[in-house]
Amino acid sequence: MRHLRAWFLRLGGLFNKQRSDRAFAEEMDSHLQLHIDDNLRSGMSAEEARRDALIKLGGLTQTKEIYGERRGIPAIETLLQDLRFAVRMLLKNPGFTVVAVLILALGIGANTTMFSVVRAVLLKPLAYYDPDRIVTLASFWKADAGKGQVSSPDFHDWHDQSSAFESMAYYGSWETAATAGTATGATAEYARATLVTSEFFRVFGVSPEFGREFSADEAKPGGSGAAIVSYAYAARHVGEAANALGKPLHMAGKTLDIVGVMPPSFSFPDRTDIWYPANTIAPETESRGAHNYRVVARLQNGVRLQQAQAQMLAIGARLEQKYPDSNKGKTVAVTQLLDEMVSNFRLTLYVMLAAVGVVLLIACANLANMLLAKAVARTREMAIRAAVGASRSRIVRQLITESVLLALIAGAVGLAFAFGGSRTLVALAPADVPRLDEAAIDPNVLLFTLGISLLASLIFGLAPALQVLRVDLNTSLKQSVQRAGGGSLADRMRQALVVAEIALSVILVASAGLLIKSFVALQNVELGFRPQRVLVVGTSVPASDLVSAQRATRFFKQLLPEVRALPGVLDAGAAMAPPGHAASDGGYWIDHLPAALNVTAPQAVFSVISSATFATLGIPLQRGRDFNDGDTYEAPFTAVINEALARQAFPNQDPIGHLIFCGLDSMNGMKIVGIVGDVREYGPATAPSPGIYMPYEQHPQPATGLSILVRTSMQPSAISPAVREKIHELSADVPVKFTTMEALNSEGVAAPRFRTLLLAIFAGLAVGLALAGVYGVMSYVVGQRSNEIGLRMALGASQSDVLRLVLQQTLLLAGAGIVIGLAGAAGVTQFLTSILFGVKATDPTTYAVVVALLMLTALGASYIPARRAMRVDPMAALRYE
Amino acid sequence: MAPKSDVWQGTLALMVLKTLETLGPLHGYGIARRIEQTSGDLLSVNYGTLYPALLKLEQEGYVASEWGHSDNNRKAKYYRLTRAGRKQLAKEAQEWDQTTSILARFLAPGEERS
Repeated sequence: MRHLRAWFLRLGGLFNKQRSDRAFAEEMDSHLQLHIDDNLRSGMSAEEARRDALIKLGGLTQTKEIYGERRGIPAIETLLQDLRFAVRMLLKNPGFTVVAVLILALGIGANTTMFSVVRAVLLKPLAYYDPDRIVTLASFWKADAGKGQVSSPDFHDWHDQSSAFESMAYYGSWETAATAGTATGATAEYARATLVTSEFFRVFGVSPEFGREFSADEAKPGGSGAAIVSYAYAARHVGEAANALGKPLHMAGKTLDIVGVMPPSFSFPDRTDIWYPANTIAPETESRGAHNYRVVARLQNGVRLQQAQAQMLAIGARLEQKYPDSNKGKTVAVTQLLDEMVSNFRLTLYVMLAAVGVVLLIACANLANMLLAKAVARTREMAIRAAVGASRSRIVRQLITESVLLALIAGAVGLAFAFGGSRTLVALAPADVPRLDEAAIDPNVLLFTLGISLLASLIFGLAPALQVLRVDLNTSLKQSVQRAGGGSLADRMRQALVVAEIALSVILVASAGLLIKSFVALQNVELGFRPQRVLVVGTSVPASDLVSAQRATRFFKQLLPEVRALPGVLDAGAAMAPPGHAASDGGYWIDHLPAALNVTAPQAVFSVISSATFATLGIPLQRGRDFNDGDTYEAPFTAVINEALARQAFPNQDPIGHLIFCGLDSMNGMKIVGIVGDVREYGPATAPSPGIYMPYEQHPQPATGLSILVRTSMQPSAISPAVREKIHELSADVPVKFTTMEALNSEGVAAPRFRTLLLAIFAGLAVGLALAGVYGVMSYVVGQRSNEIGLRMALGASQSDVLRLVLQQTLLLAGAGIVIGLAGAAGVTQFLTSILFGVKATDPTTYAVVVALLMLTALGASYIPARRAMRVDPMAALRYE
Repeated sequence: MAPKSDVWQGTLALMVLKTLETLGPLHGYGIARRIEQTSGDLLSVNYGTLYPALLKLEQEGYVASEWGHSDNNRKAKYYRLTRAGRKQLAKEAQEWDQTTSILARFLAPGEERS
């Protein structure tokens, strides 16, 4: 307590220094007077009395010093003093300060921005109750280590046989037409509907904000069903969220009662609008080969992920034995939900974080160089301070204070950058990055910024501090200011820093180069169709059974000719999914079905399309015919295959006329009537796969939601109003959404575009900083050697000799940096392999370009110093000597 | 005459407190003189060292100070013992007694056990 009180008083003593100084002087004064009075009384002379009193008091300055230390807190006082001095130093060189702060702020800002995103997407715990216990369970195929969806019989076995989980549920999510409320004339809109089993909400530890969960009656197989809606959906469609209870919801040809509204924070999965009980609107698929569902579960309290995984492996093995036909080679993978959600983006984000880290390192190297130059120029100042009694540690502390101050200012400015940067980054990022909208500058991010600012100050402040420790004070004092070189140590440090900058830049530029080359390759890939000027109209006709599904096909049959007749329309077709966005796949069989359907059948993409779709998309018909109006539900079933399937299933054989079977909706044999060119159905990065096209009239149930594809002679979006009007003329129950084929393709490469763009920006920053670094060092070298250069010229060296001298040194530095950088890049780019396309991590062309680019940068940076060297006046140099 | 020993750091505070208890409010010079006299001139206080010690005691709340006038009408800063100071003095004096008696027993000749 006493100590605390004393500390407070001392802390206070820091501030009213002047007043207490005066009080102390007065007290000393009074002390002396009293002593002198005494001495006089004992008979001393006035002179003697004063002398004695002063001697007895002791060294007044020393007393004052001790007193002063006791009054305040010396460490803080020194710090304040250092800070004041540091501020003065920074203000004295405003140009230097601004440049230094900006360079550093750029680095810190970029890192803060990146970290805010990484934290929001990857690091922050999910906003559910005890989220670490929420896991996903997936089918795991041992042969290719691939994870996938789960079949309902597998799920029920997992659920019933495991004990590691408190609750387990499957769900399936899709976009569908839905109308909420009773208002007549309300048009259907797209909504995300998710079917869930009974324990679904328990897995997440949430319950409805209003209303209740599904009752046992509502949820039982074939039961009446009911709907729980999201807060946002309720607010959008019935105004007040609580009012949604009891309102009807029309969906998939049925009417459900809304019995609950979830809290605003819950919309799993994928911003779901409507949850409804599985196995009610449509029965669950009963084949172990139909992997239609995703599974989430909550671990029992105290059960670790590995234990759960071990148990599920045992269950998987049991099912393999029991059902070899469907489950051979299939087991279970248990993953934390968060890991599963962000698995697609983790590598990209960490690569970006590493890249901005490198940019910051380069910025630090640059700053270290600038400070080193300043430290050398200040050698004499330091020597003088040391000569009048400052200890080396005190001088180093002073320098560190300056570095830290600089870094903190830069951190604050960087934070301001990050506020803007964070928003820009979110805008640039692919739309499907989970939780990206939560990226913000929160306390954790602030802490991170403070941390990297201090770390940065340590990195760039080290070199000048070391330099001070090495300087020989005596020689420095003797030397004149201009010649007070920091000696070879400082020079070596400067050069090492530039070499490091170039090496780091090489790594970044090489990575960016590889990504750019990948992206260009991705853009130029032959997709197998022409995406230009194609409007994509998403539609969904409510249907629940064959009869209503056939009504849907009649709707499309009516609609398509009317769309084709619109002005500006060249052709129109329809498909279950736009090309490049395969919606369904599975095994196929040729000529006849085997007795037992095994899962080892060859796989193909299933597409349901209308006639003229090939022509609309520019998919070449190689042989046979397109579908036509004769391919109705009643007619013999037909199919068109692509060349990849023809190659795979009919080597040296004509496929036309053979039967093909697949389990899309029925096992009817379909006669192959045509062969078309291949399409990259899984996006540009994946090779074309075998494909089966089927006419929509023969597969009404998968064809209730079709994308109308319209090739236009003008801007595709210009005809959307006309198409919308046509659709609503035919039916008000059909929701529509518009996009273009080109926009869809662009979305498909959003992730590669994002990382390529960012890495290119970071690489650009790195090169810019390296340029500045080389320029700084070469200017310094030329300045230092100007006398030598002058002498050489006086002795007959030509300007080109001088140029060679400067360039030689530049090339030496750049060469060293590039060699080290190439070695580093060879290691680092290995990590990129999985996100590269059409280019190897060791691509020689890319590396050649990188080497050339950095060489040119280095030479360009030394151009001005070299010219300055060539203009050195030999006479001036001679006079100086 | 034995050489004068410097006042041992920790004990100075104790002496100051004791002086103030005995003599009542007193200025720095007076305290210094009193300590010197009491020690029979065996201790020499470098008067200056007294003031940081006084400041420390004041910060800890054991003494309080105010400006006043001396007998011969000189302006001076008077220190007086606070209640906390009195308690502290009692405590430290007791501790000191204990320390010295222990040391005395150690240093007493001929009492080593064989």
